[in-house]
Amino acid sequence: MSVKHVLTTCPYCGTGCNFFLQVADGRLVGVVPCKTDEISLGRLCIKGYNAHAFVQHPDRLKHPMIREGGQLKQVTWEQAMDRIVKEVTRIREKFGPDSIAVLASAKCTNEENYLIQKLARAALGTNNVDHCARLCHASTVSGLLYSFGSGAMTNTIPEFDNAECILITGSNTLEAHPMIGARMLRALDKGAKIIVVDPRETPLSRISHLSLHQRPGTDISWINGMIKIIIDEGLVNEEFVKQRTTAFDELKEVVKDYTAEKVEATTGIPREKLVEAARLYAKTEKAMIAYAMGITQHSNGTNLVKAMANLAMVTGHIGKESTGLNPLRGQCNVQGACDAGGLPNLFPGYQRVDDPESKAKFEKAWGVQLPGNPGLTLTCAMKEAMAGKLKAMIIFGENVMISDPDLGHLEEAIEELEFLAVVDIFPTETAQKAHVVLPAGCYAEKDGTFTSTDRAIRLLRKAVDPPGEARADWVIACDLGKRLGSPGFDFSSPAEVMAEMASLTPQYAGIDFGRIDKQVLRWPCPTKEHQGTRILHTQKFTKGLGVFAPVEHAPPMEEPSEEYPFILTTGRNLFQYHTGTMTRRSPKLEREAPEPYVEINGSDAKRLGINDGERVAVSSKRGSITLKARVTDRIILGSIFIPFHYAEAAANRLTNAALDPISNIPELKVCAAKVAKA
Amino acid sequence: MTDFRPTILAFCCNWCSYAGADLAGVSRLQMPPNVHVIRVMCSASVKPEYVIKALSQGIDGVLVLGCHIGDCHYMTGNHRTAKRMPLVQKVLKETGIDEKRMKLDWVSAAEGEKFQKVITDFVQDIQKLGPNPLREVKF
Amino acid sequence: MMREEHGNVAPALISKGEDVGEIRVDIPYQLITILETIYSWVPKGKIAVITRRCDEKALAELTKRNYIDEKRIIKIGLACSKEQIAKCRCSDPVPSKVDIGEPNEPVPKDDLSERLAKLSPEERLKFWVKQFRKCNKCFACTHNCPVCFCDDCVLEERTFVPEQSIPPGLSFHMIRSYHMIDKCIECGECERSCPAEIPLLTLRKMLAKDMKEVYGYVPGDPKAVSPLNTTLEGETLEDECDEC
Repeated sequence: MSVKHVLTTCPYCGTGCNFFLQVADGRLVGVVPCKTDEISLGRLCIKGYNAHAFVQHPDRLKHPMIREGGQLKQVTWEQAMDRIVKEVTRIREKFGPDSIAVLASAKCTNEENYLIQKLARAALGTNNVDHCARLCHASTVSGLLYSFGSGAMTNTIPEFDNAECILITGSNTLEAHPMIGARMLRALDKGAKIIVVDPRETPLSRISHLSLHQRPGTDISWINGMIKIIIDEGLVNEEFVKQRTTAFDELKEVVKDYTAEKVEATTGIPREKLVEAARLYAKTEKAMIAYAMGITQHSNGTNLVKAMANLAMVTGHIGKESTGLNPLRGQCNVQGACDAGGLPNLFPGYQRVDDPESKAKFEKAWGVQLPGNPGLTLTCAMKEAMAGKLKAMIIFGENVMISDPDLGHLEEAIEELEFLAVVDIFPTETAQKAHVVLPAGCYAEKDGTFTSTDRAIRLLRKAVDPPGEARADWVIACDLGKRLGSPGFDFSSPAEVMAEMASLTPQYAGIDFGRIDKQVLRWPCPTKEHQGTRILHTQKFTKGLGVFAPVEHAPPMEEPSEEYPFILTTGRNLFQYHTGTMTRRSPKLEREAPEPYVEINGSDAKRLGINDGERVAVSSKRGSITLKARVTDRIILGSIFIPFHYAEAAANRLTNAALDPISNIPELKVCAAKVAKA
Repeated sequence: MTDFRPTILAFCCNWCSYAGADLAGVSRLQMPPNVHVIRVMCSASVKPEYVIKALSQGIDGVLVLGCHIGDCHYMTGNHRTAKRMPLVQKVLKETGIDEKRMKLDWVSAAEGEKFQKVITDFVQDIQKLGPNPLREVKF
Repeated sequence: MMREEHGNVAPALISKGEDVGEIRVDIPYQLITILETIYSWVPKGKIAVITRRCDEKALAELTKRNYIDEKRIIKIGLACSKEQIAKCRCSDPVPSKVDIGEPNEPVPKDDLSERLAKLSPEERLKFWVKQFRKCNKCFACTHNCPVCFCDDCVLEERTFVPEQSIPPGLSFHMIRSYHMIDKCIECGECERSCPAEIPLLTLRKMLAKDMKEVYGYVPGDPKAVSPLNTTLEGETLEDECDEC
């Protein structure tokens, strides 16, 4: 008999709550909140309380498998690894290293992501490494690097408690980041004014002070409109603008055309409400902005993020306690996967691959020659695969067959590949397409670190062994590196990997497992004595002066037409998580939200003769899915909403793969669609 | 308030109160038309959850009618009901819903006239209280 | 018991001979809830538990219903600190046997209950509607509750709480408060673990007062039978029939 409580980090959203996994005789039996954790404060959401439920599910992958005659057959690790090495080597010799791409994972630890990008760069010789941040916050990284010089949340999660005004847009915070949402509720209880700008009514917008509903794809218009109101009413923080920023005149020039009337016509937001929101935000001293996918997933996502940055800088709401621009990252370690270099143009710590100095630094450290050209983004890699130029992929813990836009074409692209290896914990839709499948260990089965959305580096502690022959991703990546003949893959623990990563990543230089075992450290943490950084850009911006970017509203790539009259937008619900591989195997979560649905406004439904609960077909130019209609007044006229969790009616069969030219993020939030009775 | 027509649920046990309602019906006793009768096997099978759920969704009043104490077809079913309903009323009261919107009474199979009186009085009481404020509350 | 681990306070079950570490009694973990989860995994021998007065009462409710065998439990009585008593507005803070800490005076009143009692029903309803609107359906109030032990939770029945309803509406917490009326031992864990900080302990206290007024019953006594399980004459009834 043994019973233990293992303190670890939640595998769901990027909030980084810690809790105890209850382990009895090697079985995970429950979750107990950690009362002294400074992030969760001893509270969890429904996903957190059920985070143990999927870990020992019978569907877990337990053995390596190789595809033979169309079927995946159980093999030994030796056979599976040999096959990967043989195929990858053959393809590399024939088509060059850039014919191979590796996907890192926002579900893997920092150490694993570090090893995976090292595997691509040092062992395979290509910068073709990317991960799902491409689909969520790529535009945040590119936009905020331009405006501030750092693409991360400027402030911290606990600061929401003391905010006096919170502007939330494109984030259904109570459902997607419940414990951050809870802090907003606490601020609300203390009298803070909450402004939500969203095409849908969300649980938070229903109790907020101001709930503004914009047409999807018109965000720059209302943001510029707000800035104009702030300028016209003399609410600009002149001192801040003068001392800390540059290019304000250019911004002034652009926003002057965004009159309240024009903005109202474009966005559908009543002018008096926009004026009220602008005044509230600008006049309140402790005003925070939180945003998520509703801002980033657009074909002009980078510009949208820059517009948000403009708004924060005009009012000087940045670099101080309970202010700032706060992108909420959706995966447990999407921040860390970016930090650890799981990006095609950046080494760990956002050091550019095409900067000779950085390249030399990593070549010296790793003892190999490195490619100097930025690699393919995830979205471009798929296009290259389609064109037959990309031949092989190794995917760690991502389910692109549900998460990526325009699945019809994506499926063809995946099938074009000569070789696909997938490392995952469940037989996902993507694993079904693979030539070799390797069983991995999940969050409860390994040590490592996740970096949460507010840059806090949080420890995972192993609670149970992986099932069957499954191995942790870091073990697999090291093994592959060694077998591919590369030096620098001899690690005996994640702590050793972090030591190497910290030595090459300035923001993480002060991080080691011993320190974060007992305290919450947020990067930048440049030395072993440094206590971490809570607020970014306090004295000056990372890049020196903050840069105002004059950005203009541009319509989405696809607008409603006669044939496709609706605007389709996608998102999450509280109970499911991403492609559902984990939550759909957690009975209590699946019970709450067992089937796909489309939200449609009551008047639209009436016009089409659709009743609540009826089955409807939703189609776009790219495909069609059938699902249940949920008739509601919680979405604006002319728009429909589908959660993207469900493989049986995958919203991404419909979405548009049009890309933002700077960040390559696809326009998942807007496309044209039609609805008809099924 | 004259044009307020309350919506009322009456849970009636199969063996006594429903038969009483039936008797009232065949005797052609006049009653207000606002009451939806729901037949249940025993007043004890009216889970307190039903009452709470109905009122929290905006139903104006809920009647629970069973056999007189001592007459229960299942011996002690109505004892349970008698014990539970005062507590349900407390839950209503503490959250700010008038506890008079819930009423427990006993009607036997022979009491057609009592049934008529209970219904008529309850509808009048609810009319005095006005509409359930939760009708207007959107969650 | 609770002890210091990784700079945090962690619940822990220690076997004979194992190093105890640094015990912490200042953070109120709900050990009885944890005991319930792990109880079936410890098939033999005795289990010692640090028990505050409310834990003692929770154990009484559990042993009364045969969820836990009283003979297997050794209670290490913990008298709560003044601060903790104030936080819980606890009217009964001293365990039957004090092994750790000094007995402190109870706090007999809950300010919020008294304020709410003075309000008009309309204002009281407005207050609770505002509070329950913050509910994000995490089920922390049931998950962490030591006396929530039904195999099938009524709050997971679609008839009463529709799936995917956020917030779950007024009836969710009303149904829960009715269900707890003859079990709740006012430990306050529901309120402490509520992310939205809904004053659930206050609601519990108001209903405990009603229960006492109507039936003179206070949960937590190992010998007393709940009035919901007796006839009007006070005879004990068989368990409820699940069919109806």
